Amino acid sequence: MLITIAWRNVWRNWGRSLVVIGSIVIGIWALIFMLGFMNGFTISYVNGSIRNEVSHIQVHHPDFREDYDIEFNITDGVARTKEILKLPEVKAAAPRSIVNGMLSSPRKAGGARIMGIIPELEKEVTRHDSLLAEGVYFTGDQRNPVILGIDLAEDLRTEVGSKIILTFQNENHDLVAGAFRVTGLLNTTSPIINKSRAYVRMEDLNRILGTDDDVHEIAVYLNDPEQVPVVMDELQPRFDGMDIESWRSISPDLELFLSMTDSFLWILVGIIMVALVFGIINTMLMAVLERYRELGMLMAVGMNRIRVFLMIVIETLFLSLVGGPIGVLAGFLTMHWLGIQGIDLSAYSEGLREFGYSSILYPYVADKTYLIASSGVIITAILGALYPAYKAIRLNPIEALHTV
Amino acid sequence: METTEEQKTVIRTTDISKTYHESKIPVQALKDVDLEIRHGEFIAIVGPSGSGKTTLLNIIGGLDNPTTGSIIIDGTDISKLKESQMIDFRLHNIGFVFQQYNLIPVLTARENVEFIMLLQKKHKNEMESRAMSLLEEVGLTDKANVRPSELSGGQQQRVAVIRALASRPKFILADEPTANLDSTSAANLLDMMARMNREEGMTFVFSTHDQRVIDKARRVVTLEDGKIISDEVRS
Ligand SMILES: Nc1ncnc2c1ncn2[C@@H]1O[C@H](COP(=O)(O)OP(=O)(O)OP(=O)(O)O)[C@@H](O)[C@H]1O
Ligand SMILES: [Mg+2]
Repeated sequence: MLITIAWRNVWRNWGRSLVVIGSIVIGIWALIFMLGFMNGFTISYVNGSIRNEVSHIQVHHPDFREDYDIEFNITDGVARTKEILKLPEVKAAAPRSIVNGMLSSPRKAGGARIMGIIPELEKEVTRHDSLLAEGVYFTGDQRNPVILGIDLAEDLRTEVGSKIILTFQNENHDLVAGAFRVTGLLNTTSPIINKSRAYVRMEDLNRILGTDDDVHEIAVYLNDPEQVPVVMDELQPRFDGMDIESWRSISPDLELFLSMTDSFLWILVGIIMVALVFGIINTMLMAVLERYRELGMLMAVGMNRIRVFLMIVIETLFLSLVGGPIGVLAGFLTMHWLGIQGIDLSAYSEGLREFGYSSILYPYVADKTYLIASSGVIITAILGALYPAYKAIRLNPIEALHTV
Repeated sequence: METTEEQKTVIRTTDISKTYHESKIPVQALKDVDLEIRHGEFIAIVGPSGSGKTTLLNIIGGLDNPTTGSIIIDGTDISKLKESQMIDFRLHNIGFVFQQYNLIPVLTARENVEFIMLLQKKHKNEMESRAMSLLEEVGLTDKANVRPSELSGGQQQRVAVIRALASRPKFILADEPTANLDSTSAANLLDMMARMNREEGMTFVFSTHDQRVIDKARRVVTLEDGKIISDEVRS
């Protein structure tokens, strides 16, 4: 009966109830939408970084990441990469020979990291063949081809077809150089690649370096990102003494970025809860004051404080139980639809690309978000009900009944 | 009703006084009121405005405390009860009919009648049959599923009376139950209360200004300036 009364009370002033229900719906929907948008950004950034730059797992000589010296290599790297490729979890793996060097065009010179790659393997890992702004991906039979990050090429004031000289130290710390022809420009979502990477064939680089099958890095891309720990465990014994790192430790910024989105969830939940709580307090206080005499009568005839309190709380809860599911459903449908459609941000994507985002955003929220949003609203409703309910039980029946 | 029941004291007030200190000059609303009400009585508390009728009924009903004196209801000294115990005591022992706003607007007439029984945790079947038979007795069967807003003032008060009755209290207090009714409805309500008094043996204590209502009482207690100035029993 308490529940019946509470439920009917909700619809007593249905206009006012609808305003509260409406704000709950909008609150939840906005929460889900904003998070979905945020997540979409984060995920596109993180996935983009993994896909085109970091990959899931990298193998290095333990000293290599601290001090990029040519001698910190993985012996027999190419052969061992082929072994890795046999693992069922692995989708692609690519060895890289790496030096830091100087690139000079006839007009300008600048530093860059030179990656000696095996194009057939590399393109499966980083898909750089699909990210060329100009030129071709190591298909011509030109000698010494080099592909530059698009911004690097601009810095060097060079273009596809031009020659540049690559200078770097060999194993004996002697300066060596080679002439390369620019055959393509890479435009990725990674500012690092765009500004400071040059890709050459490993055979060309190692010939100049005087090494042959030694590499500095093996990048591994998996079918399923969840498999990272499993594959790392499998690689450990094969690469005894080498560092095997996941994308999380290679790019702690990605991890940070993901955890920031998580904190953002709680901040948003907090803001929306605070806004709702005031709306609910206000509405329920009005409802209580409006029914002052009735509540006085109820207490006079023997309805105890606990019941009066519960009645107000249940009534408030009903508001959120009506609004909550509608908001969650609206949010869910919006996410579902946008998750398929994506939001085309190409109008703004020039700016976004600078920061490493791709131009179509696919909003996404984890299932727990719906749960958090719903329970957040229910908690808010209860919190918002406390003060009005307290007001209600403090009233003096005689005074309330005499209020005209 | 058996004579033993008839003589049993339901309410006894001893020297109750009530002084309000809300304004600068204290107002003494009741002065040494001694009143004994026995089971089955049908009593009107009368007196000019401000004579203390409401104050007395509130104190008897445990809604207010006297400044001094004691009220014993069926053996319980209610001035010794704590606030929460008092609410519970009211629920199980006292029926109330107010001047207005008696009913819960979102409940139907039948649900309103069942309401106090529900708070008393009576069985559903018992509640329903009692509510329906009482509604029938007061000629409101066809209004059972109608909300108070669709009832006339007189019908609402009748529902309020049978709601009080349904919960089987020791007595029913009604502070000016007819004040908002036209004289015909007022007379009807009083007739109905008198009938319930006879048929159910329910004790009624009500206050009124209305001479036609006073005429229906079997005992009339007159207050003036917070004092009982006359207490007459009629035949
Ligand atoms: N809460 C209060 N604070 C101060 N004085 C009060 C209060 N309630 C009643 N009084 C005073 O006590 C006296 C008795 O009031 P009471 O309401 O009992 O009279 P009444 O006989 O019921 O009058 P009426 O016929 O107008 O209802 C009056 O002088 C009134 O002003
Ligand atoms: Mg009065």
